[in-house]
Order: sequence, then C-alpha cells, then structure tokens
Amino acid sequence: MLVKEGEYLFLEGDKATSLVIVKSGMLVGMSKQLRQRHWQNFGPGSLIGEFSLLESTPREYTVRAAENSEVIFIEQSALQRELELKPAWFKSTLSFIANHCHIAEENQKKRKIVQALPALLFLFSKHLSATGSDNIAVAAIRKKMLVLNNTDASDTDKLLQILEGIGLLKVEGETVRVSSLQIVPMLYEALRHRAINKQVSPDILSITDQLVLTAFVKAVRENGIPLKNGHATVATELLKQQAKKTMFGSALTLRTLAPLLQGGILQSTPAFDEGSALESIESISGDFDRILDLLELNRIFPLLDKNLV
Amino acid sequence: MNGNSRQQVIPPTHSRVKAGFVVYSPDSGDRELIILDEGELVAVDKRGGNREIKFRMQPGDIVGVASLFEREPLRYTIEAAQDSSVTILSEESLESELKNIPVWLLALLKNLAVKTRQLKASAHSTPVENTLMSLAEYCAHLESGHKYGFEDLIREFNWLTRIPAATIKGDIKALARRNFIGISKDGDSLYLQVHNATLMQIYSDYLFAQDEGIAWEPLRLSLPQKRILVHLTTLDETVEMEAPEWISLLNERELPIDVAQWITLQDLGCFKEGLSNKFHIDLKKIEYYLTALRYDSNLRGAV
Repeated sequence: MLVKEGEYLFLEGDKATSLVIVKSGMLVGMSKQLRQRHWQNFGPGSLIGEFSLLESTPREYTVRAAENSEVIFIEQSALQRELELKPAWFKSTLSFIANHCHIAEENQKKRKIVQALPALLFLFSKHLSATGSDNIAVAAIRKKMLVLNNTDASDTDKLLQILEGIGLLKVEGETVRVSSLQIVPMLYEALRHRAINKQVSPDILSITDQLVLTAFVKAVRENGIPLKNGHATVATELLKQQAKKTMFGSALTLRTLAPLLQGGILQSTPAFDEGSALESIESISGDFDRILDLLELNRIFPLLDKNLV
Repeated sequence: MNGNSRQQVIPPTHSRVKAGFVVYSPDSGDRELIILDEGELVAVDKRGGNREIKFRMQPGDIVGVASLFEREPLRYTIEAAQDSSVTILSEESLESELKNIPVWLLALLKNLAVKTRQLKASAHSTPVENTLMSLAEYCAHLESGHKYGFEDLIREFNWLTRIPAATIKGDIKALARRNFIGISKDGDSLYLQVHNATLMQIYSDYLFAQDEGIAWEPLRLSLPQKRILVHLTTLDETVEMEAPEWISLLNERELPIDVAQWITLQDLGCFKEGLSNKFHIDLKKIEYYLTALRYDSNLRGAV
C-alpha cells in the first residue's frame, strides 16, 4: 500500500488486527497513551502494531507518512496460517514472548513511579524550606518533575496520590499541602542516606526505640507534662509505668533506653554513661516536636515500600 | 515477504526422564528451550548453596524462552519432579526452525524480544532527555553562595536522575562556562558553588521553553515594557490600585502604556490581583524578568 507524504495511516485508538511493515519511505508516530513528547520515526523495516496482530489491541500511535512511503499489512489470518504449519511450541513461544513484553512494560511503568519518588521529595523539601509555605501548586510540581526527571504529569499525579494515601500530604484541588513541614525533608534525607551511604539513616528507628518514644509521648500527654522550650521531661518512674502499658508488658530497661540516649534523641538526668543504672536516672527529657516527627517518619517509611512497590 | 529458502530443520530432542533427573543446569551455559510434554518439572534456585523451588511446570509449559530470545541466562536448575517427557530445542535447532518462517514473523519475534530487553535495560538508564536542563533545575534549588562538595553533589544528582556521572561533569562544565556556577579547590577536595540560584531557575525555564518550542516570556518583552519593569522595581510592593489607576500612574511618569500592554504585563505575572479588583506589583516576578534580561548573553551561551 502506498501512503503519500502527509497522509495519515491510522489514528491512535483505532481498532486494529494487523501488523504494518514499512517497506520504503518514512512514517512518524505520536502516542498520547505512551505520553510521548516527540514523534517516533518508522523507517524501512520498521514494524508497527505487533500487539494489534497478536491480540487485536487498538493502534498505539497516530501514524502519518513523513514522505511518500510503502507499507505492507499482515493480517491475523496470515499469522494463523503460519502457526498452523508450525509445531505447538512455536505458538507457545510467541505468546510467551508477547506476555514477557507486557510484563516488562508494566514493570517499567511501576519502576518509573518508584524511581521518581526521590525527585519529588527533593523538589518538595527544597520548596518548603525556601518559601516556608506548607503547600505548592500542583502545576508547579508537575512542571518541575518534568524538567528535573522527565517524569510526566500523570506519573507525578500517581505519586502524589500514593503519598496522600500514606498521609504525607493532601491534594486540595490545584494545591498540594503537606501534613507537616518537617516530615518531607526528613523522609528525603532518610532515603538519600540509604541510597548514597548504603546505610540505614539514624532517623530510622528500631521497633523497640519507637515503642520507648511512644511511651514517652503518652506519658507527656496523659499526665499533662508542660513543655519547656519545646522539651518535655518525664520522671523515670512514670516512664517505666507508661512503658509497661505501651510496650506490651515489657519493662523499660537501660538497654532499651541506651540507643535513644546515645543517639541524642532523649537525654537523661544525670547524664547517661556506660556504667549508669536505670535506678540512678531521675528523669528523661527530649525535644517533643522532634520526637513526634521521628515517630511519624518511622510510621511512613515502611509504608512507602509497601505502597510503591 | 516470505522466506524463500526452505532449509533443513534440525529437529528438537524428545526425551523421557526419571524423577530427579536434571534436565538443565545453569553451569552448562547452554541456551535452550525446554518444553514439558508430560509429567512435572521444577525450577530450582541452587545459588548460595540453598535449594529453593522457584516454580513448577505443568504439561505444555515452556522454559528458556528469555535465554534464547532475550539473551537473559536461565538461572535455575530444571529438574524432573516426577517421571516426565520433555522436548528440548537447542539454539541450532531453533535457528534452523526460524529460517523457515516468513521474514515478517521473524522480525515480529525479534522486535518483541528487543523491546523487552530495552524495557528491562531502561531500569538502569536515565529517563532524562535534556540533562543540562535537569542539572540547572537541580542547581536552582541549592543555596546561592554555599560550597557543596563536588563528588557528593554528583552522587545525589545521579541518584535523583540516574544521569551518568560523566554526563553530569560535562554539564557542570557547561554551567561553569556560562558563569552560572563556580568550581573551587580546597586541599584535595573540589567544591561547587551556585552564584545565583534564581539565575539557575531562569536558565532551567529558558531551556524548557526552548525544548517545548514556546516563546520564552522575558524575550517577549518590548523595550517600553522593559522600561516599565525597571520603574516598577522602585515602587512599594504593598501599594494596591485598580488597573486604570496603574495605567494613568505609569503614563503620568512618561512610561506610555495602554490597556493591551497592561494586560500583557498582568499575564506575565508582574501584577498580582489583591482584594476589590485592585492589583499590586510582584517584585519577585519583575526581578526574575530583569535578571533574565541582564544575563541574556549567559543564557544563550554567548559568554
């Protein structure tokens, strides 16, 4: 079949059951579905519509001739005839290869979203720290994702939806608002630390550490302990009682407290050292907002893997 | 488009195997297609001294397609879980079979295999097409004047974008040539300094407009409009007036402006709408345009 320069061969979404082989000339294709930004060239020997032939899927591209071209259509009946002449394994192999290609496509779509997460968190955390505002326009973040990482608007939206699902942010019309100004930068830093230093970030805590901090927060809230310069101080005895309830019956020991004291997340009076005994510690204190942020970060961090992958 | 030379086909091997028989071992390095005709096969992962059954095959199932068509080695040992009947197609046998199919069908098979291979390989490649624009956007979010460790910065940017380090270094040189960034040495360590983060944002926007084939806003400004912008920077940002008041104020100050030009400036974001139909100037936006105009030659790379 001859296609004159400028003529359209078919439009994206057209029903189709054939494969097109470009015999001569040059055709160009554009796909909204594949979110292409540039025309794709189909020169001599190119195939268009493999899955239209195999699975009757609609046309993936809008294709027009960039110059006078000649194309050949291969219909499903021709494929059927060939397969009938072949041993059974040939048909199975063909469908295996087609299926494998679909799986690779799906995996690539998922991977693109996972791999775009650090860029989104980077842009978000930088925007928050530069403006002091808790929100950014959806259009602005979409454009920045496209520029920084070539992530298209639809993938950015999917990523925003996932982050909204875990309570990190909220999409309100044309604006994205974060639930806390601190969490996005902390989450970005935790991911960066893991990726670049190949180590778990010091902000990612063990379950025991999280339970101790939860006991600390509950002790402050339930006993109305006032904050001084953002710090809360809890008597060790009170913390021990609270820990018993929060830590499913486990007792608070110096061993369970030590990582938090050594990491500087909690402080003790008198100051903690290797030889300290829990009984000798009068009280435990800590920056209350930072502790809340750490607990929130540690709630979100495992959810990311679960929701993204 | 049909294969015109029907060549001799090397037939596949049909075998009956007892339970426990190793049909394929990854150590052999062979690339073959194994088709289970009867019985049951298991794929076992024996790496690391463990023995983990990865999947079970039922009659009609095939294994090894990816190893033959996508050049992805088969990592598992294939064993008979019970007495079975298998057909094994070697690389030579497959090739001889493929020589007897029409060219279009062969091209279809190859195309699908290549596409799959490319999709898998894309996991390790960068999705970024304009790497200089991406780096400019990244630098726009750094602190002006702050010294960043060169290697740390490359590592972070590579993690964000998967742009190879060599390409990043080339783009850093391109930014340095335009005097957007400075590179300094302190002892053995190299540092990178962004002179003006706003300018980096401007450059990123400029490259984006070029990429998209759209007219970049600062280049759309006429000379009278530029003069108006310079004058606006001398005014108080908090002053709010209605559009006709702004137009008459500017005309009084010998900066001729008509309604159409006012609308253009408003569209460009130089005036922000406040309460009761009143407008105030957006100094940040105006500074953005003026900086873009001041560094026009750097942006175009003519320095």
